[in-house]
Amino acid sequence: MNETVINEKEKPYPPEKTTELDVTSAALPKAAVLSKRKRNKGGKTENLMGYLFISPWIVGLLFLMAGPLLFSLYVSFTDYNITSQMNFVGLDNYKRMFTEDNLFWTSLWNTLYFVIFSVPLTTAGAVFVALLLNQKIPGMKIFRTIYYLPAVLSGVAVYFLWMHLLSPSTGLVNTILDWFGINGPAWLFDPEWTKPSLILMKLWSVGGGMLLYLARLQGVSPALYEAADLDGANAFQKFFHITLPMLTPIIFFDIITSTIFSFQIFQEAYVMIQGGDLSSSGGLEGGPANSLLFYNLHMWNNAFKIFNMGYASAMAWFLFFIIMILTVFHLKFSNKWVHYDGGDKK
Amino acid sequence: MARGFRLGFVLILLFSVILSACSGGSDASDKNKDGKVVVNFQTFWGSETRKPVIDKIVSDFNKSQDEIEVKHTFVPWGDIWTKNTAAVAAGNPADVIVNDLHSVAHRAKNGQTEDLSQYLGEDLKNTLYPNLWDSALYQDKVHGVPFATDNRLLFYNKDAYKEAGLDPEKPPTTWQELEEHAKKLDVKKGNSYERVGYYPLWGSFGAASWMSNADDGKGFIEGDKMYFATANKIEGLEWVADWQKRLGKKNVQAFEAEFGSGQTNPFISEKVAIWTDTANFYTQIRDSKTDMNFGVAPIPAFKEGGRNWNEGGGFVMEVPKGAEHPKEAATFIEYLTSEKVQSYWAEKNFDIVANKKAADSVVNALEGDGKLVYESAINNLKDTPFHSVPVKYPDYKSIVDPIIDNAVQGKISPEQALKKAEKDVKNSAK
Amino acid sequence: MNNEVKFYQTRRFKTKTKNTLVLAILILGSIVLLIPLWWMISTSLKTPAEIAQHPPSLIPESFQFSNYFEAWQTGAFTRWGLNTLFISVIATIGHVFVNSFVAYGFAKIKFKGRNALFVILLATMLIPAFVTLVPQYIIFSKLGWVNTYLPLIAPAFLGSAFYIFLLRQFMLTIPDELSEAAIMDGASHFKIWWHIMLPLTKPALIIVALFAFNAAWNDLLGPLLYLNDENLYTLQLGLQTFKGNVQVQWHYLMAMSFTVMLPTLILFFIFQRHFIEGANLSSGTKG
Repeated sequence: MNETVINEKEKPYPPEKTTELDVTSAALPKAAVLSKRKRNKGGKTENLMGYLFISPWIVGLLFLMAGPLLFSLYVSFTDYNITSQMNFVGLDNYKRMFTEDNLFWTSLWNTLYFVIFSVPLTTAGAVFVALLLNQKIPGMKIFRTIYYLPAVLSGVAVYFLWMHLLSPSTGLVNTILDWFGINGPAWLFDPEWTKPSLILMKLWSVGGGMLLYLARLQGVSPALYEAADLDGANAFQKFFHITLPMLTPIIFFDIITSTIFSFQIFQEAYVMIQGGDLSSSGGLEGGPANSLLFYNLHMWNNAFKIFNMGYASAMAWFLFFIIMILTVFHLKFSNKWVHYDGGDKK
Repeated sequence: MARGFRLGFVLILLFSVILSACSGGSDASDKNKDGKVVVNFQTFWGSETRKPVIDKIVSDFNKSQDEIEVKHTFVPWGDIWTKNTAAVAAGNPADVIVNDLHSVAHRAKNGQTEDLSQYLGEDLKNTLYPNLWDSALYQDKVHGVPFATDNRLLFYNKDAYKEAGLDPEKPPTTWQELEEHAKKLDVKKGNSYERVGYYPLWGSFGAASWMSNADDGKGFIEGDKMYFATANKIEGLEWVADWQKRLGKKNVQAFEAEFGSGQTNPFISEKVAIWTDTANFYTQIRDSKTDMNFGVAPIPAFKEGGRNWNEGGGFVMEVPKGAEHPKEAATFIEYLTSEKVQSYWAEKNFDIVANKKAADSVVNALEGDGKLVYESAINNLKDTPFHSVPVKYPDYKSIVDPIIDNAVQGKISPEQALKKAEKDVKNSAK
Repeated sequence: MNNEVKFYQTRRFKTKTKNTLVLAILILGSIVLLIPLWWMISTSLKTPAEIAQHPPSLIPESFQFSNYFEAWQTGAFTRWGLNTLFISVIATIGHVFVNSFVAYGFAKIKFKGRNALFVILLATMLIPAFVTLVPQYIIFSKLGWVNTYLPLIAPAFLGSAFYIFLLRQFMLTIPDELSEAAIMDGASHFKIWWHIMLPLTKPALIIVALFAFNAAWNDLLGPLLYLNDENLYTLQLGLQTFKGNVQVQWHYLMAMSFTVMLPTLILFFIFQRHFIEGANLSSGTKG
């Protein structure tokens, strides 16, 4: 699929309107022909160079990743308890997952809920913030630092700060809502609002994603906007015909990786439940009414509390299967909307 | 080309320099330079208050020894056991580690701990509280030595008692009295509460503990038998669920959320008048410098004349499977559970220690509120069962808790809940 | 963005209105973002007794700056800080160069099996770390790397799927004609990578550096698993000393969390200049 992706020459802006782009498209066939000739002559060298360049990763894959990955796949068909037993049990773990373990479905639902809302919201949020921070306004350095700040804050302290902010009667969020006459929810203590609370926290720290877009925006040639201005394009048109297409390679990256990481959400729920008193009411390991029992949390409990690593591995590989399908789907459809050569070619 | 190669060369060079720099002095050899055996000891006691105490104990031990040198390392709470599991799997664990009392048998069954029976002296058993000792056995073998224990006390606000017209010297002794007192202690303003008298699920005595209290101290699973939908447990769960009905779900939630971050405690802030927690909670009251007067009492009995069934927990010293020096480790563990060390630990940290003589001596040494609390906790021990994780159903809690929670929330009747819990747990048998 | 549409009569008027609007939104957002930080600093300056007060006070009654000094003294924080710096710097260097090198292979060299390998690269990100944690620990243990920094550093020199993917994306936005013209001139891939790709992807490389440094700086699980000697510990492990099973020392935890965060923030503040310069450079090459 990458071949098509790379050779995608879709024009983000009607090229016939700018002379600059005409030059570019005229130059294209020539370059393509040249590189083809070159490649045919040295196909073997190209292969060798390719492997040479990716060799560090190959070494890591073979020595550090492949073994543990295959091991965990095998283990998912056993009753491996990490320390003393590993008997082959066939598909038992998978059977139990789908037929006997109610918490499995709870955790899958919680995770899907989180992914469906957090991925689009954080992606859109990051793009929006990046656009704001890309303006030429005095003091932008300070603003950028402030918006990036939540991304560097990590660890327990952050989660407890949020518990304070979201506290129903004395917390700042509800206090502000109160000014507008809105009666705020109990957030982390109301099963209906626990996941939205975490999504809110994720939105707070879009600083990391924002950086990616900001970096990409630096690569947009001002000439494109000037050309568009000459054509009388308004801001809307400029955004949808120049900026957005330019950002698509990064949006593509952001969606794929944040989908992967959202499916694997763990730390936030783990710290809040274990460290705080979220489990107080029912002694639940999954927060109020198990509403924060995410897939990875359930897996972790199985692996390191019950030592049922066989089952945990089966869960992991089922998750792998789900995300893999989504990722392949993304890759397949990426050439419909991702513009690699952007408008930024010369 | 040349430039690329040069860079690659520099990178490789850098990489190998780091490799060699890092591996230097890495090997944790089993003997130190004096020829002493090194015993690696991992605990989660890293705080300003606990670390100096355990470090002093270790250094005293090292001074008294010609053959063993203990090296203490702090590993964060909770994560310490994940690390230990991985290390046992890799065959290079610490020699002594602090672990949870409830799950000793569970770990022993999974081959994570050494059997210490052959290394420990005969007398050790008699110096420690017997029900604690028994909790750390697996198939009659010693897989851990109890170090400290905890049980629950009823803390009550004497000032609030006076204000509500109750006798501050007469805390509740039965469930019924507890409920009566709580109602009088409630301070309501409109639809919400300024002060809640009591709510059974706050603090550290959960629904399962109340049910055990109602059912003669029996847990859900005792040996091979199950006690889920017994008449007493059903009544107990109904009682627990009724509290939320009376106070209102929203009010309960609001209070929980208010104090959820754990920085402030509702009892100390005088927002809740009666509170169930471990003896160690006293240190929080003490350190908050509040001028509130409080008293302590045992957990009320289910019915008049019944026993004050409690809920116990604690920590053991155990030797992970594959530890290099189990024998030396056992020597150190004996030292840790000796009277002298245990009373030092108890005085400094206000933990209820496993050594009987040490615990008694601490009561004598303490005074004021501290003495009252410590003594009360020790008296509780006779009514304290330790509900260990059943080896056959290690994840019963994660199955049962959500179902019980549903009953508390009124989504399912207590009887149905307990029957469903029993069925689901049976299905999970390993 | 919507609001911009209405004001485009005169260019100056338009720019001015737009800037004011953007500024207003940015200031509002900054306040929202800074509130948690304010909480952190405020808590770090309170006495434990004041922290326990309910409802919590917004501004400390008296500023306990000594909390910072005392918290630092409770453990070997100076040493842990240097350890963390060492690990983070080396890991960052590894990540920036190695991942860029590998990404170039995936983005700009057409070799056999590239697509399949790229899918494998993505796939390695999909398996939750917990299930590979134990076998990976066993590998490092067999290599004799436990209780050294190697398990924390060596992987940075062996590529990371996330950064490779990220850098590949940025490299793909750079027109092939550039490198192909260079190949015509007889330049090797090494040369193209070094002379063309590295400068052109500078903003992305800075991002990788910031992310990698941040990740190493804030890593808890790695040091926790692999380090057995308190002398080798890192800041994140040090922070855990304030969080016991019975009580949390909030004033110290907040003071140190804030202190530990500062270097990464300062790093960003300094590096963002290069971030923007990177842009000038890339447009410069174009001309």
